[in-house]
Amino acid sequence: MKFKLIYPRWQKLEGQTIFNLPPHGPVVMAAALPEHVEIDFTDENVEDLIIDDSADLVGISMMLTTQVKRGWEIADQYRALGKKVIFGGISTMLHAEETMLHADSVFLGEVEGRMEQVFADFHKNDMKKVYNFLSKPPDLNLVGPANRSILKKDLYYHKGFRMVDLFHASRGCIYDCYPCAVRYLGGRGFRPRPIDRVVEELSGMDNNRLFIVDNSLALDTQWEKDLFKAMIPLKKKWVSHTIEDKNEVLDLAAQAGAWYVYQAVFDTSDYIRNRVKQYHDYGIAVEGTILLGLDNQTEDDIKRLIDFLLEIDLDLAEFTVLAPFPHTKAYSDLLKQNRIFDKDWNHYNAGKVVYYPKHMTPERLGELFQYAWDTFYKDEPQTMKMFNLINKVMSRELADGTYTPRRRDIANLSFGKKITDNA
Amino acid sequence: MDTNPALNRYMDRYFDYPGHWDSPSKCGLKLATRKDGKILAIATEIYRQNPGTPVTEVVASLATRVMKASGAAYVNFIFIEHTPDLGSKLTFYGETFDQVDFDHQDGILSNPVWTRLSREQVDQMMEE
Repeated sequence: MKFKLIYPRWQKLEGQTIFNLPPHGPVVMAAALPEHVEIDFTDENVEDLIIDDSADLVGISMMLTTQVKRGWEIADQYRALGKKVIFGGISTMLHAEETMLHADSVFLGEVEGRMEQVFADFHKNDMKKVYNFLSKPPDLNLVGPANRSILKKDLYYHKGFRMVDLFHASRGCIYDCYPCAVRYLGGRGFRPRPIDRVVEELSGMDNNRLFIVDNSLALDTQWEKDLFKAMIPLKKKWVSHTIEDKNEVLDLAAQAGAWYVYQAVFDTSDYIRNRVKQYHDYGIAVEGTILLGLDNQTEDDIKRLIDFLLEIDLDLAEFTVLAPFPHTKAYSDLLKQNRIFDKDWNHYNAGKVVYYPKHMTPERLGELFQYAWDTFYKDEPQTMKMFNLINKVMSRELADGTYTPRRRDIANLSFGKKITDNA
Repeated sequence: MDTNPALNRYMDRYFDYPGHWDSPSKCGLKLATRKDGKILAIATEIYRQNPGTPVTEVVASLATRVMKASGAAYVNFIFIEHTPDLGSKLTFYGETFDQVDFDHQDGILSNPVWTRLSREQVDQMMEE
């Protein structure tokens, strides 16, 4: 039984450093497949997709809204060849109704314990149009190590440097943040994986650098402390979203290898200033994530925010404009006010303005978005700031004996393609 | 169920409805019969106490269910969507009221259009 699994490409933001990380959804899905399924995976962001009729069933895994149109296009081509296509992943769930128009089947929810039924239905030529498990999350004891053997690992290197591998220790979130759809995707509860299963997966990963993609590491203090304690002997170095601001948690996180965090910076308060300092006090670097275009931001507010970022010594900053993804409160609010003017999902890349901001024109917000990037990185370019972060982690790895030199044999390649300029 | 006291002024019961993909969902509901005989329905988003789909995302099907449950005819039915003040410092979680108007065919409401109202306007509409 040959299963072709595809991760569609998307257009990266112009002018920004491109990093293709090994995708997480497909490797989690692959781990849940029945044993008799032979999987052939293509990540279109790093390799070309050849569409032919060699597979028995085609799966399309989509994470981003900017992937859905390409995913639909691929599906249409396979279905024209008479192949059945099933969709899954985050943006399949966000765009399920539209995706159904291009699919034999859509899978909604989490895969563990469900794939046997799906493939049995396929063998009986009785696939359901919708497999809906959104309200029935699986027992997280069923979540074993992801199947990263499907990845062509050499394609996730830039100039010989290996990209981080993605990993998750929990699902769901208790919060209902304005631009976020996790409430819809992962449920309103925090669902941590058992620590021993987390350690089992981490122990088997050959990459020392990870991105823990959990929505937050600030939802359950005791679990965080237990997790970090268990991670210390593994000597991994990792990136994550927010870590809880308790000193004992941050201390353990640092010992467990916290490298840098993505921290939302939403205002110029002392709370944010102190939060960044607190991370730094524990040797944890901070990449600020700054969302522009919220209704409480005037042009002056945005400029003041950017000045503030420079004052508080952020290690990196990532600016985005609000993208009202379906199933978020941002989408609901803007929809009610009839302020969304662009429904081309390829434009929902958090760099294009697709709605009418409250205090400025869409064009002006677009200019301020560019101004933010230019101003923050004026004195030290993004690549140099990233280099500084890499140096920090290399020092720590050299100190604890986990350093792996970059691969010279592929130092002239970037994500599998020969480097032809000075990039 | 724990409730935020601020919710109670515009809700006197909970209402269950199927959300996206039939996910069990819940909102606050107040049905008021006005002096002119019209039924005024206020559906309140209850955020974390709602296990499923927010009111706004399925407002047409929810309003259809509420209209049927209230026994009101379309011409005598007024629907208001309410989000309560969560006390957050973020402005996105303040109190809002929107009257929602729909197209109507064979007892089914569709094509919602929202019009922002003040609390005072809502109070006045309840008294009319």
